[in-house]
Amino acid sequence: MELLILLLLPFLTATLLMVVRPTAAAKHIALGSTLLSLGLVLWLWYNWTGTAVVAVNADWFPQWGMRLVLGYDGVGLLMLLLTTAVFPFIIAAGYKQNLQHPSMVNALLLYTQTFLLGVFMAQNAFLFYICYELSLVPLFFLLLYWGGERRRAITVRFFIYTLLGGLALLFAIAYCVVQEPTHNADFSALANLALSPDTQVWLFWALFLAFAIKLPMFPFHSWQPDTYTMAPLQGTMVLGGVMLKMGLYGTLKFVFPIVPEGVVYWRDTVIVLSLVGALYAGVIAFRQRDLKRLVAYSSLGHVGVLTAGLFAWNSYGVSGSLYQAFAHAVLVIGLFYIVGAVKDRTGTSELGAMGGLKLKTPRLAALFLLVVLNAVALPLTQSFVGEWLMFNGLWQRDGWFALLAVITIVLGAIYMLYAYQRVMLGPDKWQLEMADADRSDHLYLVPLIAVSLVLGIHPAPILDLVNAPVQQMIDLFTVTH
Amino acid sequence: MVSFDMLGKWCWLVPAFPLAGALINAALRRKLGANVAGGLATLMTALSFVVSALLFFGHDPAVTPVKVVKLFDWIRVAGMDIGFAFQLDALSLTMMMIVTGIGTLIHLYSVGYMHDDKRVASFFAMLNLFTFAMLLLVMGSNYVITFIGWEGVGLCSYLLIGFWYTNPEYNYAARKAFVMNRIGDVGVVLALCLLFSLFGTLDYTSIMDQASGFGAGNPLIVGATLLLFVGAMGKSAQIPLFTWLPDAMAGPTPVSALIHAATMVTAGIFLVVRSSVLFELAPFTQDVVLYVGVGTALLAASIGLFQNDIKKVLAYSTVSQLGYMFAALGLGAYSAGMFHVTTHAFFKALLFLGAGSVIHALGGEQDIRKMGGLKGVTKITHWTFLAGTLAISGIFPFSGFFSKDSILANAFAHSPVVYALLLLGALMTAFYMFRLLFLTFWGSYRGTAHPHESPLVITLPLMVLAVLSVLGGLLNLPHLFGGHEAMKHYLATAAEGIHNESLHLSASTEWILMGLSTGLVVLTIVYAYGLFVKKTTLDGAPAQMPALKRLIAEKWRIDELYAFLFEKPYGWLSTQFARVGEDRIFVPLMNGVGNLTLRAGKVARRLQTGNASFYLFAMVAGIIVFLLITLYGG
Repeated sequence: MELLILLLLPFLTATLLMVVRPTAAAKHIALGSTLLSLGLVLWLWYNWTGTAVVAVNADWFPQWGMRLVLGYDGVGLLMLLLTTAVFPFIIAAGYKQNLQHPSMVNALLLYTQTFLLGVFMAQNAFLFYICYELSLVPLFFLLLYWGGERRRAITVRFFIYTLLGGLALLFAIAYCVVQEPTHNADFSALANLALSPDTQVWLFWALFLAFAIKLPMFPFHSWQPDTYTMAPLQGTMVLGGVMLKMGLYGTLKFVFPIVPEGVVYWRDTVIVLSLVGALYAGVIAFRQRDLKRLVAYSSLGHVGVLTAGLFAWNSYGVSGSLYQAFAHAVLVIGLFYIVGAVKDRTGTSELGAMGGLKLKTPRLAALFLLVVLNAVALPLTQSFVGEWLMFNGLWQRDGWFALLAVITIVLGAIYMLYAYQRVMLGPDKWQLEMADADRSDHLYLVPLIAVSLVLGIHPAPILDLVNAPVQQMIDLFTVTH
Repeated sequence: MVSFDMLGKWCWLVPAFPLAGALINAALRRKLGANVAGGLATLMTALSFVVSALLFFGHDPAVTPVKVVKLFDWIRVAGMDIGFAFQLDALSLTMMMIVTGIGTLIHLYSVGYMHDDKRVASFFAMLNLFTFAMLLLVMGSNYVITFIGWEGVGLCSYLLIGFWYTNPEYNYAARKAFVMNRIGDVGVVLALCLLFSLFGTLDYTSIMDQASGFGAGNPLIVGATLLLFVGAMGKSAQIPLFTWLPDAMAGPTPVSALIHAATMVTAGIFLVVRSSVLFELAPFTQDVVLYVGVGTALLAASIGLFQNDIKKVLAYSTVSQLGYMFAALGLGAYSAGMFHVTTHAFFKALLFLGAGSVIHALGGEQDIRKMGGLKGVTKITHWTFLAGTLAISGIFPFSGFFSKDSILANAFAHSPVVYALLLLGALMTAFYMFRLLFLTFWGSYRGTAHPHESPLVITLPLMVLAVLSVLGGLLNLPHLFGGHEAMKHYLATAAEGIHNESLHLSASTEWILMGLSTGLVVLTIVYAYGLFVKKTTLDGAPAQMPALKRLIAEKWRIDELYAFLFEKPYGWLSTQFARVGEDRIFVPLMNGVGNLTLRAGKVARRLQTGNASFYLFAMVAGIIVFLLITLYGG
């Protein structure tokens, strides 16, 4: 029941906003809805007993394997938590953006949230797929109508590219369902498929391609920097904060249980590609001329390590990767908010034009710095816990993987501190009066910073959520192999 | 007297006081006046010192050699259980005394020195935060807690080097320090991963217990120690990662004294001593440590010969002295290394604070060519600076004499060549230090400012440190002088490596070595006196120097070399990846895929009206139908 409410709440709120179009109150209504969702998930978390929950289980088109099964385990709950925790911030970011047609913007965001939540609670492959693809639709409009320069070309390109991956996924699901004796597309049924190793080797890519594009993993990343840069701030936050975690979660739900032999065959390739991508993005970020684009590349770099950690496929790698997924969401929201705050004040995000902002906005500089500490994974921030676990996971797979991954902490320090210096430090380049970070900026950033510190010092709440299911998955994997 | 066990439970107070100070000063940075902010920060460090001292003097290593105090669980995943815990033993307590003791003096000094700065409360917040991080570093009971402190001091160092943030050069120096340290940290993180996979834990006590199971020369242990040493090279500014430290002098002078001389830069030595059991099992690593240490000691000392910035001379001197400490560690003389850490903390803090007092007196002047004759005006600064100079030059009975002699004796026992090299370094040290002293305080004044002695809040720490610099040798007085190497025996209860130390030199050999080094140092000082007091030889621009001298004065052009080898290629790579990798390869590739799909979809295009409301309507209608089917159709 709670899960249905969780799905319907943003959906109905969004529909209401579209029908009534309460221009001025739209953002408040949307914020209220997302906060309610968060409250609901916190309540689920509070009542979490450690055993997987299946809340809705109904037939739909059973002859095709389509069933309405909603539920979650610890990993799913983490994703629900992540989504509902991040969305209030995404809505709140709109308070200072003043986009046209706020009702529409907020409605689209809430629709996106609906389908994202659907993805994270679906326990049936078709249902997962439908939500996975539908989550793109509202975002598509958001980018197309509220995006920046070259929005048409970039949006269409992004849409087609990700849809293409989705098609491969649809094909792979259909293939699996046909192989399944009762044509059941529930995850629980697909996990017992035991396809032949040869099949698994090619099917791996059919299943993984969509997620590799969504994350994105090198070399399927080239939609990301343009799209992140062009998208309206809130759209970028959805993409970087939540949407890419679908790729991570999907990999965990689909790829590992269904094609374990394929994973064994390809895992080192995926790790190498991911790490090469992480280093590549880290190097590129250094000389980016646009702050938003720089953050986009930094996200690409972080995601590379995240994917590599997942494919290390041991307790440290996977738990670390999931932990980092949350950390990354908190981080990316904070970074993009600061990009927006800087742009609000200076009218630009061109790094070349910047400098000395700290003289005018010392509070904003301090907040920026605190977010940067999380970005460079300083110990006692959330990111450190995740990266530390992933480094250990990768080390246990192969020392060289760990080396490549650890080098990213140097690259991160290089580009993040450089960006911070370019924007905030040095002599004053702005001859205009500027407001320092105000109450609402603090209200926005301080909770994010607090979360990153609290979970950096006390990571147990999140780790305890994922440890057991991760261990279970890995044990299953080692028994069969 | 409270028992050590009882008091030990409260050891978290030691880092908690400066953390509280940092938070209060940061939160109220706009409201607190200079004296309140500084007073609070000093008080917090002093309280931390008091608790440290109670622990230190209450500690009887014969009863409780090691006490681990666990605060809470930190990271627990599968077989990994990293607790947030502190370890009290001879090594950590010694370091706590140095950090909080010298820290308190430098905080006090800063109250005077930073009084007129606009961001004085921020300054003290960072200085307190540094003290907190440094205490975590030395108190951690496992490698990961130490690593928190390790990175934390790096952050504070970054913040304080770039404290005057409107100067792009300072910002560059700050970033350079952080990035170079991060390069070292790659080694540390990998070492930790390796050690964890070997031992299944990162607790110091368990690792030290299990280490004996590995044979000497085990390649994995050699690998782990080499990786740890990479970290030590970054933090403690050894070849090839030393170039950040001289640039770090951009920070306010108290920062140079506390972070970049007395405490943080010795973290690398601490890490090696902490891991001495492992290093004992890795003779190859020990050789590497020795050669890097000797090489750095000589290279940095040579650069120090021709520097004209008072702080730069001291900075290169610090790099060089750190080289001595590593040389000691490479020789397996851990107690000698730690002894030198201690005395160096006394006299180098003193010298930096003295330099600060001079800079203060001259209204910001740092070029020693524009100084001279200050001993008549700044009497306390001069006398204390002289004490520091004699100590670092190794003149009997100043503290540096004993600690440096201990290293030299160990070097001689190992190899006369190493001894000769380190002795050469000691002579260079005496030369550049007396050059500095003479040009600054002796002769006649060559500048245009109006020098004046600093106030008591600045000179008091100088006097205390001068006393320590003079008497510090008593801490580890050798048998030759009627002592019994108290510090060595104390530290041996904490670091396995010190247990195994042995030095087989006859008393007569030791006397001869001491006589030789003292005699040569005195000759060097006389030579310096002739050059800089009798004649006042001042160097001009490097361009007019003979080739070799110019090369040395220009710091062997290592910065230029690194710029050529690393910085510029990295920038080039970044640009090329974007221009070629992204713009020419990956984006066109994706566009190709997209265009193909678009062409295929041309047929279906008739459905697309381009009307957003229609799309939205279709979407919502579809979903509602979908839901209805779901709920009622099943």
